[in-house]
Amino acid sequence: MPINDPSKSGHLLQKEVAIEIEHITVSYGPVPALLDVSCTIAKGELTGIIGPNGSGKSTLMKTILGFVKPDIGRVQIFGLGADKAKGKVAYVPQRGAVDWDFPITVREVTLMGRYGGVPWWKNLSSSDYAAADEALEKVRMADFRDRQIGQLSGGQQQRVFMARALAQGADILLLDEPFAGVDAATERAILEILEQTKQEGKTLVVVHHDLATAAEYFDTLLLLKQRCFAFGPPRQVLQPDLLCEVYEGELRVFADLLFSERKSSNV
Amino acid sequence: MFDLIYQYIADLQRSEPHLLKVYISGTLISISCSTIGCFIVLRKMVFLGDAVAHAMLAGVVASYLILSVAFGREADAAVMILGAIIAAVITVSLVGIVSKVSRIKEDTAIGILYTGIFGIGGLMASAFHQYIHIDLLHYITGTVLSTSESDLWTAAIVTSVVLSVTILFYRHLQITSFDPIMAASIGIPVVLVDYMLLTCTSLVVVSGVSTAGIIMVIGMLVTPAATAYLLFDRLSRMLFAASFFGLSSFFLGYYLADKAAVTPGPSIVVTGMVQFMVVLAIAPKYGLIANQLRRYRTIPQTLLEDILGSIFRSPDQKATIGQIQAHIPSPAAKIKNALGRLERQGLLDNHKSEYSFTESGHKEARRLLRAHRLWETYLERLGTPHDQLHEKAHHLEHFHDEATVDYLDDKLGHPIQDPHGKEIPEDFVHLQVGEVVKASLLRENWQGKIVELLETAKLDKPCAIGEVITAQKRADHGRQWVFQTNDRQILHLNHNEADSILVVVLGQLSD
Repeated sequence: MPINDPSKSGHLLQKEVAIEIEHITVSYGPVPALLDVSCTIAKGELTGIIGPNGSGKSTLMKTILGFVKPDIGRVQIFGLGADKAKGKVAYVPQRGAVDWDFPITVREVTLMGRYGGVPWWKNLSSSDYAAADEALEKVRMADFRDRQIGQLSGGQQQRVFMARALAQGADILLLDEPFAGVDAATERAILEILEQTKQEGKTLVVVHHDLATAAEYFDTLLLLKQRCFAFGPPRQVLQPDLLCEVYEGELRVFADLLFSERKSSNV
Repeated sequence: MFDLIYQYIADLQRSEPHLLKVYISGTLISISCSTIGCFIVLRKMVFLGDAVAHAMLAGVVASYLILSVAFGREADAAVMILGAIIAAVITVSLVGIVSKVSRIKEDTAIGILYTGIFGIGGLMASAFHQYIHIDLLHYITGTVLSTSESDLWTAAIVTSVVLSVTILFYRHLQITSFDPIMAASIGIPVVLVDYMLLTCTSLVVVSGVSTAGIIMVIGMLVTPAATAYLLFDRLSRMLFAASFFGLSSFFLGYYLADKAAVTPGPSIVVTGMVQFMVVLAIAPKYGLIANQLRRYRTIPQTLLEDILGSIFRSPDQKATIGQIQAHIPSPAAKIKNALGRLERQGLLDNHKSEYSFTESGHKEARRLLRAHRLWETYLERLGTPHDQLHEKAHHLEHFHDEATVDYLDDKLGHPIQDPHGKEIPEDFVHLQVGEVVKASLLRENWQGKIVELLETAKLDKPCAIGEVITAQKRADHGRQWVFQTNDRQILHLNHNEADSILVVVLGQLSD
C-alpha cells in the first residue's frame, strides 16, 4: 500500500468520514503554502498533524475552518461544503495567537462558542449561558469564570478554550499546538481532556510539533510539508527515511548542536 | 438634578447659543470617538486610524473640487464626508492589497500610502486653490469654536450610526477582534465586519477632525479608550469608561482652554493625556504604583527556601531573626515578611522569637537539602572546583521539582554522600512504607519485598518474587548495591541490576 496515497488507506473504509480534504492548494504570494494535499479523517479519531516550521500546518487548519479559501480543491465536513458546515468545527487557537490582555473573562470566552447559533438581532438566551457554564464545569474551570483570561496558568487557559469548543457543541475539534510551551503536568492534563473528548465520539485534529510524543498521543498522523508526505497510523508515518526527507535541514542542525555541545564540555 | 441641568441649558441657549452648540457636538464626538477607539486599541490598528485621518484630506478636497468644478456649486458637508469615507476605504484597501501580495509588511504599507494620499490632497489643494473656498487649516488643526449647524448634524448622525452599530453588532465586533479565525469558522463575515468598523472609524474621524484637527484626532480616539483599558477587564465596561474619559477630557480641556484663552483642540487632547498618565500611575490592577507594590510584597520562593536552609544549618535547628539575617543578604523587612509567610504555611514555629521547624517544615528543609547536595555531587562530577561547589549549588538547589531531583539522583547513581562527605537525605518522596520502588532506592537497613523483576537486566542472582531483601552498606564507593535475602544469602548488584528489581517498601530495620 503506497503511503503517499492516503485516500486509499484501508482502515478508514469502515468508519464514517468526518473531514474530507480533496487536492487542496493554498498560496499566499508566489510560494504555495499547501500543494495538492488530500486526506480523509475518520470520525472519532485523534489525528496529529506534524511537520517542520512553516510546513503549512496552521494553514491547513485555517483552510479546514474556512478562514482561508483554497485556490484549488475543497474541504468537506461530514459530506457538506465548507459554507454549509459552519459551526460544526470548533477551534482552539495556539497560545501565541491569543491576546491574553484582551478585556474578556473566562465565561465570556466560553460564551463565544454559542455565537454561531444566535442571529445578530437577538440576544444570547439563558440556555446559552447554561451551556457555557456547563462546559466550564466539565473542564473544572467554573470557579474561575469571572477571571480575566490573562490571569490564569497555561493549563487553565487551554482548558477555557476547550470549554469554548465544548459549548459550541461541535463534532470536530481543531487544536493548534496545544502542547507548545506548557509544563509536563499541564501536558498530561490536556491529554486527559483530549482523551475524554474523544471518548464522547468527537473527532480531534491536533497540530503537534514534538516527534518524540507523536506516536504515543495519536491514532493517526499526517506528515506535512507543503505536500502530504504520509498519512496513517504512527508507525507507518514515523519512518526514519521519511522524516529525514521532511525535516532534512533541521535534523542536521540538531545533530550539529549536540555534537558541538559535547565537544565543548570535553575541553 | 435634571431640573438644574435643564435650567443651565436654557440659560445657555438664551445667553450664548453658540456655546451650547459646542457643548452638544463635543459630547457627541467624544462618545463616538471613544467607543470606536476601544476597538482600534484592542485591534492594534492605531496607526491605521491615523492613516485614515490623513487620507480624508484628499477625499475632502477631491469631493469639493468635483462638485465646484464639474457641477459649479459649493460643496456641502454631506458630500465632503462621503469623499472622506471613500478616500479612507481606498487607503485601507490599498494597504491590505500591498501587504498581502508583496513582502512589504502592513506598517510599512500604511506609511507609504497614507503620506502619499495625504500628499495628493495637498497637491490638489494647491493646484486648484482658486476654486477652493474652504479653510483647509480648519481640517488640519481643528477649531471647536467654529462649530456650524452642519457640523452639529454630522456629529449627531455619526454618533447614532456608531452607537447603533456597536450595540447591534457587539458580539461580532468582540469576536472578530479577539479571535477572527474562530469567527470565520462559525460563519461570521469577518471581512465585512472589518470594513464596517473601518467605515465607522472614518465617520468618527471626520466628525472629530472639526474639533481636534487631522493630526490630533487620533488622540481623541485612542487616549480615552486606552485609559479605560487600564481599568477594566471587560469590553462592555471598557466601552462605558472610555466614553466617560472622552467626555471628561473634552469638558475639562475646553474649560481650561477658555480660562487660559488658548485653542481648545490641543487643550482637550493634552487633558486626555494627563488623565491617562494619572490613571497609568494609580490604576489598581495595571497601574505603575500597584505594580511596584506587588513587586515589593511578593516574597521570592528562593528567599523562603534560603531561610529554611539557614535554620536547618543552625545549631539545634533553631534561629532568631538576627541569626537568619546574618546568613541571608536580603532587607530585614523582607525576611520578616517571609518568616511570617512560612509560619502561616505551617512550616515554622515561632517560640519566644526563636524559629524552629514544624514536622512538615523539617521535611521541606530536608527535601531542599537533598536537592542542594545532589546538585553539589553533580557539579563535582562536571569538574567544578571544590571551593565553588557550595555557592553554585546554592543557586541550583532552587530547581528542586520532583522530576528534576529524581533524574539527577538516578543519573548520579543514587549517591549517599555529597562531595564534602555529608549524607544526602534519602528519597523520602518515594521511599515510603507501602510504595513500590526500584531496589536501588533502598538505603542501608531498609527492607523491601520483591514484587516484580524487570527484563532490562539479566539477573543470574537467586532472587524471586515474594522474597524479602534488606539493603546493606554499599560497596565499591557506593557503586555496588549489597542486599541480604531472608536465608542470609548476599546479593551484589550494579545500578542497572538494582533498578530492574521492584520492591514494595516494608520499612527500616532499627539496629
